Amino acid sequence: MTAYGVGIGWRPEIAGFVAQLPGLRFAEVVAESVHAHGDLPIGLTDLRDRGVAVVPHGVKLSLGGAEPVESARVAHLAAVAQRLGAPLVSEHIAFVRAGGVEAGHLLPVPRSREAVAAVVGNVRRTQAELDVPLALEPIAALFDWPDDELDEGAFLTEILEQTDALLLLDVANVYANARNRGTDPAALFDRLPLERIAYCHVAGGAAHDGVYHDTHTDAVPREVLELVTELCGRHRPPALMLERDGAYPPAAELAAELDAIAAASGYPVIT
Amino acid sequence: MTSLAERQAALVAALTSGAPVPPGFDARLVETARVALLRKRAGEVARQWPELAAALGPRWLPEWTAWAAARPTNGSLRDGWDLARDLTASGALPPRAGAELAVREAAMHYDGRTAPRPRRLPALRRAAGAVAVQAGGRVRVLRR
Repeated sequence: MTAYGVGIGWRPEIAGFVAQLPGLRFAEVVAESVHAHGDLPIGLTDLRDRGVAVVPHGVKLSLGGAEPVESARVAHLAAVAQRLGAPLVSEHIAFVRAGGVEAGHLLPVPRSREAVAAVVGNVRRTQAELDVPLALEPIAALFDWPDDELDEGAFLTEILEQTDALLLLDVANVYANARNRGTDPAALFDRLPLERIAYCHVAGGAAHDGVYHDTHTDAVPREVLELVTELCGRHRPPALMLERDGAYPPAAELAAELDAIAAASGYPVIT
Repeated sequence: MTSLAERQAALVAALTSGAPVPPGFDARLVETARVALLRKRAGEVARQWPELAAALGPRWLPEWTAWAAARPTNGSLRDGWDLARDLTASGALPPRAGAELAVREAAMHYDGRTAPRPRRLPALRRAAGAVAVQAGGRVRVLRR
């Protein structure tokens, strides 16, 4: 797979900043924010014309839902991928609605055989409509289900093996889960097929009342950058991108975060 | 043994509708997630309805939280719209948030149950003392 280096999540609020990154070769956009057939946001068109790979990142497919994934949502994701000329698309191992009610957030599925089968079925339904590979992202969960049969490494590996999907590894999610469960974050790296990583998310968070929240609105903690270095020492992913979703800091701070990811991963700076 | 679908629905109900936390879950952590979810929604609605959030000021988060705690999201546009209408009905919509609501009411038809859609006919709407008029898809605020 092409090595893209350091990238960033494109958002309308920081489109001007992203447009001026001279070394940028990889960006991601929230798939549901792009029209399948209307005009693309101007900044996105420019990135695509510059040859930057722009990957649609779905957040509402609900691949982990017990119900079959909705075909209209899959069709939208496939159409957006085509419009952007994307080399791949990504979604989460999570569910976002049940019984007709929207949760408004990514929720964990139980790490059970039954849930593995549900996820695998939905991933296959989605892959059947896509022209490009699908990468799956394990989420940050604030709580676990009471009846987990598999540990996280076995659960994720099982899904990846059965679907032949790629892995979108969010290093900040790995950090958040390990910190909140009191486990060693790097230990998960030993349990995952690192060669299947398509790209990585790197994001910030904050602790409240002893619980670490993966907010995407705070600075990237030093511990997450150290984990990036730890991961890259074992197997460096083709791309690592900053994922920021609000409370955008001044351009100099965003640039410093991108430089810190470059330093932690050994990829060239893109600012 | 209940199905995965039923168990997922029970968890979503606990997080969005004030239903009890399903047995076996760590109730403290599910409550943490519920509160975090309400805060995240508050941020999203404040982006769609900036004048509503700004006009309520320090009361925004408690007002939102009380209103949204047992109302699952219909998307931040509709969530903010429903809240603004409820505040209007109880006479509690701050005047500084009136124009924002009046503009949307004049521009779009919203039945409270399905996605708002652009009006085809001209319309004049009032909210908390503000007046907005729409014709041919163009909206003007006549009074703030």
